[in-house]
Amino acid sequence: MKPLHSLERKLLSSLAMDGGGLLEDVALKADMTIDQARRAVEWLRSKGIVEVGTTTRYKIEIGDEGRRAVEHGLPERRMVEVLKKLGGEAELHELSKAFDSSKEFSAAFGHARAKGWIGTVSIGDKVFVKILTPDQISPEESLLKKFIAKKELFLDELPEEEKKAVGRLIKRPDYFMKRPVKTIDIMLTELGRKTAETIKEVKEIDSLTPELIISGRWREHRLRPFDVEAVAPTIYPGKKHPLQRFIDEVREAFISLGFEEIVGPVIQPAFWNFDALFVPQDHPARDMQDTFYISKIKEAKIGSQDLIERVSRVHIDGGDTGSRGWGYDWRLDEAKRLVLRTHTTAVTVKYLADNKVSEAKVFSIDKVFRNEKLDTKHLAELHQIEGIVVGRKVTLRDLMGVLNEFYKILGLKKVKFWPTYFPYTEPSLQSIVYVEGFGWMELCGMGIFRPEVALPLGVKNPVLAWGGGLERLLMTKLHIEDIRELYENNLDWLRKVPLCL
Amino acid sequence: MPVITLRYDKLKALIKGDVSTKELVNKIPYLGITLEEVADEYMKVEYNPNRPDFSTSYGVARSLNGLLGFEKGAPSYSINKGGVELIVEESTQEVRPFVVSLVGKGLILSDELIEEMISMQEDLHDGIGRHRRKMSIGIHNFDVLTPPITYTTVPPDFKFVPLGQKEEMNMEEILRETDVGKEYGHILSGFDRYPLLTDSLGNVLSFPPIINGELTRLTPSTRNLFIEITATDLGTAEDALAILAATLNDSGAQLESVKVSLGNSIRITPDMSFQKMKVDVKLANDLLGLKLTDQEVSESLEKSRISVTSEDERLIALIPRYRVDILHQVDLVEEIAYGYGFEKFTPTLLTSKKAGKPDETLYLMGLAREAMIGLGHIEVMNYNLVSRRVLHELTNRKPRAIIKVENPKSIECELLRDALFPSLLMVLSRNLHEEYPQRIFEISKVFNRDARASTGVKEVYHLATAISHSTANYTEAKSSLGSLLLQAFNLKIDTTPTHHPSFIPGRVAMVRSTKCNLGIIGEIAPSILENFRLRNPVSVFEVDLNKIVDIVKRKV
Repeated sequence: MKPLHSLERKLLSSLAMDGGGLLEDVALKADMTIDQARRAVEWLRSKGIVEVGTTTRYKIEIGDEGRRAVEHGLPERRMVEVLKKLGGEAELHELSKAFDSSKEFSAAFGHARAKGWIGTVSIGDKVFVKILTPDQISPEESLLKKFIAKKELFLDELPEEEKKAVGRLIKRPDYFMKRPVKTIDIMLTELGRKTAETIKEVKEIDSLTPELIISGRWREHRLRPFDVEAVAPTIYPGKKHPLQRFIDEVREAFISLGFEEIVGPVIQPAFWNFDALFVPQDHPARDMQDTFYISKIKEAKIGSQDLIERVSRVHIDGGDTGSRGWGYDWRLDEAKRLVLRTHTTAVTVKYLADNKVSEAKVFSIDKVFRNEKLDTKHLAELHQIEGIVVGRKVTLRDLMGVLNEFYKILGLKKVKFWPTYFPYTEPSLQSIVYVEGFGWMELCGMGIFRPEVALPLGVKNPVLAWGGGLERLLMTKLHIEDIRELYENNLDWLRKVPLCL
Repeated sequence: MPVITLRYDKLKALIKGDVSTKELVNKIPYLGITLEEVADEYMKVEYNPNRPDFSTSYGVARSLNGLLGFEKGAPSYSINKGGVELIVEESTQEVRPFVVSLVGKGLILSDELIEEMISMQEDLHDGIGRHRRKMSIGIHNFDVLTPPITYTTVPPDFKFVPLGQKEEMNMEEILRETDVGKEYGHILSGFDRYPLLTDSLGNVLSFPPIINGELTRLTPSTRNLFIEITATDLGTAEDALAILAATLNDSGAQLESVKVSLGNSIRITPDMSFQKMKVDVKLANDLLGLKLTDQEVSESLEKSRISVTSEDERLIALIPRYRVDILHQVDLVEEIAYGYGFEKFTPTLLTSKKAGKPDETLYLMGLAREAMIGLGHIEVMNYNLVSRRVLHELTNRKPRAIIKVENPKSIECELLRDALFPSLLMVLSRNLHEEYPQRIFEISKVFNRDARASTGVKEVYHLATAISHSTANYTEAKSSLGSLLLQAFNLKIDTTPTHHPSFIPGRVAMVRSTKCNLGIIGEIAPSILENFRLRNPVSVFEVDLNKIVDIVKRKV
């Protein structure tokens, strides 16, 4: 037997006294609301402690005319009363004058005659009315008496005679309404009677209170066992956004590999986003179609005159980097236009230029922007991860090795490298990783910075670089197919998505 | 990036040895080409914009022959001296100054080849031609022409029958009424004379960079082609011509040169001579992490269809003219890697001498995140770009010194936000039907104008929170804020009365710490709640995390 809830116990104690009854009555006796009683009955029923039967009963409610009859008597009774006052007999016309309306009179006359309370005698052209059975109480009247204190009665509570009276009175307008009502009957079962016996014996309490503990009075009570299998309410804790969790996970991966984090502005002169990366000024990626430009606020400061000169030369003819350059008229005003960075490499190259490092291992995880229409695969803003290694003897194979290690920490063990093209690295590789439950996917692009990029910044050692989007990999882990869902902030999802991916 | 379809039967016919379909498919990624779709009869592949010579199956086969070892070194091209002259008139110099040309004879033009040539032409137009602005190509039936050809300019009312039309149209009409005119007409805007190529009888070849004449239309019975390329950049025109020449040669045509003259200056096109570049073997080994000998480097380059000779015991690469992507010795390094085979590279492990570390500011902000989570708040992440509607209209905030992107594709990303809480109200609005209480927060950058910043915009991190349930109020927000700053940073704050159009008057305060304004806290005004269709009270605070972190750093 499962432990009983306090409501169940309360109801059961009350039921034990009279074995059952209507739900409403039982609730009243047990001092519970109908709702509490209903819940307790349902639980007790499922445990076999009570049986529940439903019956349809008819409820008789009194109407306006009925109420009048209760207060002033039935019209036929009034007829008899009037006749009594007139000496037990009266002429029909005279008699009618004693009533408020002819309608009332004819109703009183009709019903009284039908009951045999009065009779008529014709003398000449006059009709005389007289009492036949003066003080007989009709079932209708005994029924009406019951409504002196009540508005409604159940049909099945009435004696047979009065039931018939109901049938008759209901035909008179506005006397009674008869409605079917479903009632719930509760009866203790055999098991119920036994259970009721047991709960009488022990004094159980629901909650252990500080007062009970301090006073030591807990010894006088038994703590009611709980239904430990019952469902408890759900609690939603505060938590990180899954994307932020993943960002932190990737950050840890970089740090464990000995990388230092760098950050920088979202708004960049095109110089740092494109020119310093050897992206020619007429390159399609620089179109307004693909890149967000922001309205000019002030003349952007780029960097030293010397640096601008060196970068412009590699575009024009390669400068002293050994390159042919792109061979076009490089324009400073184009380089000064402000863009929302399309990659974090804008920040990285600025870092290299500012620090002129010969050795470094740095990373960033930050937002980048593309002028895209949002759909299931595209966002206008997403997160990019990027890593950079500068060193005297670092090689393409080292870069592949770093990527392998990086992916391994993120749980991606199968990696392939294919050649590809980026304007600012040479050689360039694309890494393809195997994601469990998804398959092969392209992840980070990588390569060694071109001399046209590194030399003007004052960096002579090879610069290994890799980068890629974060959201796509997370989508595979979260089994999300529409990238926009990551930024929907649907609370139901945020509350339920597990921390462990 | 451009996508082309490679039919296996066609590709195999161009490969100079036995190769299975599977081998072809497996080799493609090692050319730097991405497989998009592998079907029974063909594969669809995407090539990179630095390799416009991959715009046809001929170009891909040329490289595959090298990589598979069936051919090596740079291909050679025999160009007969042709008799055709192209006379360039001085008036073209202002509009579209450069033209190069060639004749290809004895071609068997199938529908399939025409299709491939047109697709190559479009890819070159869109890529190195920068949507025809920099360079455009006209391919003509040579046999209907009577040389010499003249490159000239004509006034806008000049008439001819453009390709695909039955009647003559004048040039204005062509720009106004035809699809290509509408798409590319802007290239000629501002000029009062338009470029034109005609033969000696006045027949129109083309109105570059817009459309060809109907007269020179290609048909499967066309055997001899005349090609002209007009451009604003000579190098680009020559690049495109070289790619076309190599393609025509590989499809069986005999190339003939054209003499292009402008006054006394004469140029014979196409020029297919090699680009010479020193090979830096040490650089290659240093960058790739290999120990290749000169011999191995030469062999690798030859597999990449680059010939190698030596001068003074140093290797010199002879790069075919259609390779437009070799700018620097590092590009040869990559060619060596291609020839050597990227699949043969094994990763090496770099050891680390220094410990890594996070950015200090971001680390400290992470503490604020931790405290907010401890207070039971759920983190949300919104976009930095927001609509005017959310940022100003719904919140009744005054738009001052906004930072606007010039060309957004959607009005949802029009402004860089200068506050986070409007986005948080939007999040609550989208989650009306989720269980309450709702307590959310966000840590993200906001953008404000600042003349001292190098771009004129200062970017700082804010932390904002919104609390919503039937009894959410100022006091709860203040308790959270106080707890956050004390727990995360051991920082005490004051709140002093202020006004804000989004908040209930008398229930809004400035958040202050010793002389410094950190942000705002209060209950959102019911009119604003209505704007967001919210039915529960909302209390909010938003603080400048950079300022807080600065205070903390000063203290430490």
